[in-house]
Amino acid sequence: MDDKATLELMHLRGQITRRQLLVGMGMLAAGLSMASVLAACGTSSTTTSSAPKRGGTFRLGVTGGGAKDMMDGQNITTKPDQARLVTAFETLLVYDADYKLSTDGLAESVTQDKPDQWTIRVKQGIEFHDGKTLGADDVIYSLTRMLTDPTLFGNAGLGSVDVKGMTKMDDRTVRLKLKGPDSTIGDQLGQYYNGIVPVGYKRYPGTQNGTGPYKLDSFTPGQQSSHSRNPNYWRTGQPYFDKVTIIDFTDPAAQVNALLGGQLDAITDIPFGQVTVVKAHPELTVLESPGGGWLPLCMAIDMPPFTDVRVRQAFRLIADRQAIVTQVLSGHGRVANDLYSPFDACFASDLPQRHQDLAQAKSLLASAGQSNLTMDLHTTDGAAGMVDIANVFAQQAKGAGVTLNVKNDPNYYGDQYLKLALSVDFWGTRNYLPQVANGSIPVAPYNECHWPPAGSNYLSLYTQAKAEVDPTKRCQILHEMQKLEYDQGGYIIPFFNDLVDAFSTKVSGFKGSKGTLNLDSFGHGYRTIWFG
Amino acid sequence: MATGQSGSANALQPALIPGGPAQAARPGSATGISPVWGFILRRLLLGIVVLVLVSIVVFVATQALGDPARAILGRSATPASLAALRQQLHLNQPVVTQYLTWAGGLLHGDAGNSLAAQEPVTKLIGDRIVNSAVLVLCAGLISIPLSVAIGSYAALRRDKTFDVVTSLSTLVFAALPEFVVGVSLVVIFATTVFHVLPAVSLIPPGGRPWDNPAGLVLPTLTLVLAVTPYVARIMRASMIEVLESDYVEMARLKGLPERVVITRHALPNALGPTFQVIALNLAYLAGGIIVVEYVFNYAGIGGALRDAVSNHDLPVIQALAMLIAGLYVVLNLLADIATIMVTPKLRTRL
Amino acid sequence: MSVVNPLVSNEPPLVQSKRPTGVILGALELGRTRIGLGLVLIIAAIAIFGPLIAPHGPADFIGLPNTGPSGAARFGTDHLGQDVWSRFLDGGREILLLASAATLLGLAIGTSFGLLAAYSKGALDDILMRSMDVILAFPSIMLALVAIATLGASGWLIILAVGLTNVPRVARVTRAAAQPIVERDFVAAAEAIGVPRWRILFGEILPNVLSPLMVEASLRLTYSIGLIAGLAFLGFTANPNGADWGLMIQENQIALVVQPWGVVLPIIAVALLTMGTGMVGDGIARAAAGIDRVRGE
Repeated sequence: MDDKATLELMHLRGQITRRQLLVGMGMLAAGLSMASVLAACGTSSTTTSSAPKRGGTFRLGVTGGGAKDMMDGQNITTKPDQARLVTAFETLLVYDADYKLSTDGLAESVTQDKPDQWTIRVKQGIEFHDGKTLGADDVIYSLTRMLTDPTLFGNAGLGSVDVKGMTKMDDRTVRLKLKGPDSTIGDQLGQYYNGIVPVGYKRYPGTQNGTGPYKLDSFTPGQQSSHSRNPNYWRTGQPYFDKVTIIDFTDPAAQVNALLGGQLDAITDIPFGQVTVVKAHPELTVLESPGGGWLPLCMAIDMPPFTDVRVRQAFRLIADRQAIVTQVLSGHGRVANDLYSPFDACFASDLPQRHQDLAQAKSLLASAGQSNLTMDLHTTDGAAGMVDIANVFAQQAKGAGVTLNVKNDPNYYGDQYLKLALSVDFWGTRNYLPQVANGSIPVAPYNECHWPPAGSNYLSLYTQAKAEVDPTKRCQILHEMQKLEYDQGGYIIPFFNDLVDAFSTKVSGFKGSKGTLNLDSFGHGYRTIWFG
Repeated sequence: MATGQSGSANALQPALIPGGPAQAARPGSATGISPVWGFILRRLLLGIVVLVLVSIVVFVATQALGDPARAILGRSATPASLAALRQQLHLNQPVVTQYLTWAGGLLHGDAGNSLAAQEPVTKLIGDRIVNSAVLVLCAGLISIPLSVAIGSYAALRRDKTFDVVTSLSTLVFAALPEFVVGVSLVVIFATTVFHVLPAVSLIPPGGRPWDNPAGLVLPTLTLVLAVTPYVARIMRASMIEVLESDYVEMARLKGLPERVVITRHALPNALGPTFQVIALNLAYLAGGIIVVEYVFNYAGIGGALRDAVSNHDLPVIQALAMLIAGLYVVLNLLADIATIMVTPKLRTRL
Repeated sequence: MSVVNPLVSNEPPLVQSKRPTGVILGALELGRTRIGLGLVLIIAAIAIFGPLIAPHGPADFIGLPNTGPSGAARFGTDHLGQDVWSRFLDGGREILLLASAATLLGLAIGTSFGLLAAYSKGALDDILMRSMDVILAFPSIMLALVAIATLGASGWLIILAVGLTNVPRVARVTRAAAQPIVERDFVAAAEAIGVPRWRILFGEILPNVLSPLMVEASLRLTYSIGLIAGLAFLGFTANPNGADWGLMIQENQIALVVQPWGVVLPIIAVALLTMGTGMVGDGIARAAAGIDRVRGE
């Protein structure tokens, strides 16, 4: 049972076909802990394992929040929002430690019946915090809310679902009709921010009634929130903590100090400069996860001088990627190749790695008539490293005779974003097609490179890929799309950064994992970690 | 008579004798003798005028901050989500209407809703004001007597060892940025050398800073170290000026014992400046607290202001600016009144 | 006799003297002035000539980030693997220029306002000084923070924001010092023979208020340096591309415990600079008071 489930999980990502997938139920029946499933998936496991113990208050420090912190089962704007969302809300599908979709979530199956039709069936007997049983109506309400409120984070990704085309088949089954073929619905349903909420749900200060392992006790935006154990949680035995407290920090140094001083049990995103300090501390462990986040430099392909593909190619040859990883990430990342979605089963890892070649860059610039180019490089303190990467790249560009004036503008995302010729941005991990939907086609909300160029067959490939249900054929199309971006695209993607978190040795159960969220998805909503 | 005094009484002058020349404030040449209440009333009116001007400045300046809807959504802004949020926030009214609504609300204790948190500003910053006030009061209660004592004693022992040592060490401490002092204290007492005090001040929502007094120690100490040198130096200068004044000289010439000279003649006159020092000190602490709150993750108005500025959260910025500016005006007013009440020379001039 | 400026005592005791040169010479006889001047000159020399002797370029990548002192890097590397020593030598100009410019701006505007208020008396005086009160009511760091967060941190904006916070304090001191001068006979004489107003202000009155202004100037400079460094600590600096002491403090403070030099060097420089200007100001104030006292007796 165990092995079979695991195998199914491993294949699920590329194989959502007409065939019904019925996995996950067995795990529930067998009462297996998520930890053992993850271990079977073969990711690195560093922490000491002991039998899980009940009790205690887990205190987590997170930076990046403020008064705009929110609690919403389907929305986030800040890092602490992510940490809070996963306490109370769960998704239909989940990504495992290898960033493969699995049915360890609320759904017992999610099936693409036809290119433009999906069927969702939720597990039996899952209850919300208030005792109400999860059913088809809640799924329909949740999806309707995501689709109709444009301020929600997952709104753009589910664009192909027809709001009026959702049908309740029985108490636990919902059928989705799409406006057009789309094979990425499963990916969207696995995104942590697309949580399932009960009928009538409203964001905080509405009641935060979810299916998750902890109930919300109190919440003060920008300061802290307190959560207590859901005694009625559907995964037997979990969670282990009595309480979870999530505390906002403004200053990353203060956050590290609080961990060093024993006021916290875990923190996310240690500043790279302090990793050695934390490592030197005998009672602390650093958790390094090979994340798929990336900080691109974006060249708008329809704005001069980047209208000339040679200038784009020259800029890509300017980047000394290893030096950028060393300088900007203090080595906590992997060199990238101007392509995103490294965990996608169809990632084009066979394309040759690009290296710095200043001579070639100069000659390309010369042939484009852009020798001794001078221009602005726009950035902001939107995410850690965004200013640094601009400074380092500007320094490297001098080697090719290019002068880049770094502009650090606090209103960057307010006034100028998407209108700049050369700028820096940040992205988390997504699979390829969902990422394209977010940032690389004209209708995408954040198409910062203004991709694709006129006359390119990229868009028709994208439409084909979304409609293709055969994973092998889809991979071939995706490969072709990635080749186009690799040769002509506007992104310079120097690295994928690791997520570097830290926790006290008092806490057991943390494992490194690929993915978007810190601390192995915060210990899967703080349910697979314990004191002991 | 020294020429120095005419300039020094200047600040009273517009208040006491409208438009009158500076000399009017000199003893014996005062022409517009008015009762203390008249003075207080006039200061009060001026304070209100200043506050109204401040409110206009605050409102106009914050309008320049740009579109708050974009600032709130940040990168996740799409045209659709922007339009929806603008609709939600009622950002389409004319500016004048917005000002009148806002100012009217303030008079009723309603500062509007925070754009970012979407809840009343008063609820958002109410606890933070209490927290900051506690920190400022603690720092004030320690640093004011301390700096007054150091400054006065240094003035009495002018150019002696104590004076030289304190004047040099206050110079050094005044030159150190607050965050250097704060970070150093954390390293020494919380994380690296000793582990005796908490590194950050975590105040649970609904809790009060005094629930966990240990958490107050380091931030208070940082503020005390930042403010004491500054005030001690002013105090020393004020005390020297008073000690060298004609009336103190006269008292000495009359053969009064030094103790009597200091307590009966010097101290009452030095008290006036002391009130000024206290007012400025508290006003400075209220503004200068930003850095200290940042270092210690202290949930006060400094953190709220920094956060509001980066969120372009206009109502919160406006409320905090009005609060801090109002505090300054009120403290100055109180100090002026207190000065008039305790300083015999000034009182007789009125 | 004297009552210390009872309602505005964040300024040092005010004194008038007619001969600024005398004050300067007197100040130079004091040990503290000499030491202060020495400190300022040393830091200024580092700022001006530092770039010439820096072993590396300020943005050169010379090793792993946040490593301690080594043969290649005398004071180790910073958060991006750049040479701390070279960046330190390169980074003084910015803060000195910004602080000096902000001080000069504050002095120019503040002096004009103060002179005008003292000379005009009446309504204009009231209006000018009440508007100074309005500016004073905002803590300077808050003013600067809002301005910079709104418009982005550029050099001129920092000068403008910090300069503006200097204006009301300078204006108050100038006005206070100028008020008795305005009543003197020579001003009335100048008016009588039809000297234009601006020449009376700047030609007749200004020279008589120079020594309190010098004290104020040194205070304002000290304070501007501190404010600009504080803004940098909160993350608001003029030039994200280049090296400057304020920026160094902000960039490297996160690694303070691992590699202190990236923060300690600029802090020492800023602290010595503010101490120096503070001591010079102290010396001038004492010299001015001394001269005044002698003359008064």
